[in-house]
Amino acid sequence: MAEVLRGNFTPRKRVVVDDATEDLTSQFEREALKRLGGSIAFVAKKKFLYGVSNTERDEDHGASEAGS
Amino acid sequence: MAPPKLDPEANVQAVTAQTSGILGRQIAARLDRITLEKVTEMGFANARENAPMIAEAKSIAALQDAPLTERLDALVIAAGPSVHRHDFVKLIKESGFNGAILATDSAMSLCLRNGIVPHLVVTLDPHAERIVRWFGDAGLNEGALARDDYFARQDMDPKFGEDQLRRNRELMYLVNENGPRIRIAVASSASKAVVQRIVESGMDAYWWNPMYDDYDIEESLTRKIHTLNGLPCVNAGGNVGSACWVFAHAVLGMKRVGLVGMDFGYYSDTPYIKTQYYKEILALVGPDRLDEVFVRIFNPHVGLEFYTDPAYLWYRDAFLEMAQRVTCETYNCTGGGVLFGPGVHWMALPEFLSMCRVWPAHTTEAGDGQDSIY
Repeated sequence: MAEVLRGNFTPRKRVVVDDATEDLTSQFEREALKRLGGSIAFVAKKKFLYGVSNTERDEDHGASEAGS
Repeated sequence: MAPPKLDPEANVQAVTAQTSGILGRQIAARLDRITLEKVTEMGFANARENAPMIAEAKSIAALQDAPLTERLDALVIAAGPSVHRHDFVKLIKESGFNGAILATDSAMSLCLRNGIVPHLVVTLDPHAERIVRWFGDAGLNEGALARDDYFARQDMDPKFGEDQLRRNRELMYLVNENGPRIRIAVASSASKAVVQRIVESGMDAYWWNPMYDDYDIEESLTRKIHTLNGLPCVNAGGNVGSACWVFAHAVLGMKRVGLVGMDFGYYSDTPYIKTQYYKEILALVGPDRLDEVFVRIFNPHVGLEFYTDPAYLWYRDAFLEMAQRVTCETYNCTGGGVLFGPGVHWMALPEFLSMCRVWPAHTTEAGDGQDSIY
């Protein structure tokens, strides 16, 4: 019986399950969560600066020179 | 044998204790991606709009060429509730602290009202309407107040909740009076309204880009914005308070950085409605599940329980992650809140101010034995 319910033939056209309800829920959740987001991004990288030519002053690039 | 009689109230309390903060922690764990989705479009749109002005202006690289002070000590003033509860700004003013003072845009008004002109103010949030209130909003009227009650509810600066139109006019005057003496690190993501106030008040602007993502990945947004305007990119840590701390050590090269008003949380007597994201959280989960979203954390340094929301919890986790990989000494002098952990020394503000007066800023001896690491 289970075999019959699961389908024992190949349909001519691919069957697409309509999951519009789930999409709407996800969409609402995503939009609502966005409003809980921070002010700006946080990037989990070791360096704090990018694109600062020779004078880059982060932990990898000689912070001891700072303020000099 | 009859089953034991259940106390409905005790049962509710037990269930609440089990579920407290669980949802909040789950949301916080997703805020990296959620925040990126939230700010990218607005941040890039603002950066494009600001591009002509940026092309003619200074970048934060110029700050490295002209030290703000001779000292290597800095104090970051943010707008957490502790800064008001402890009247810290008055204490800082009276102490004669001679290191660099960095303030968030949200704390600028408090500083100016108390006669402190910060060495550097930082602004970054791309929000089109709210952030300009910290500068005095020329477009504020009764209609705008009716549409958005954020400033009437928020706990960052209680003055903003009182007689809002009058306070706004006073702030515009205060900012215009002091503008020419204020250096501001303004992110390319700042809104048109904020940039307009910076210009019309005569502030000395230094531009930068917030990092959006890993600059090493393919199609990196950070590299894209850098290509667009050539500005240095700074990892802002999710919020303007953390950005001030990053500026202090990574851009200005400060060796000891004290923090005040960096609560990343709320005092337990603060009603949920006064919290930053109350309306958004209410819309998401409804009134019955609020306890699942707010996370309670005991602060052993002050012996009090605070609570926090997903965004602040994310800020806290991001800050602690960053604090462990810097060579500067970080001292949290907030006196409350949830920002404690590895890499962050907990210290009373008077002690920090005293330490900065006594010890040469280029040594770290002062921290030894005088505080707890977390």
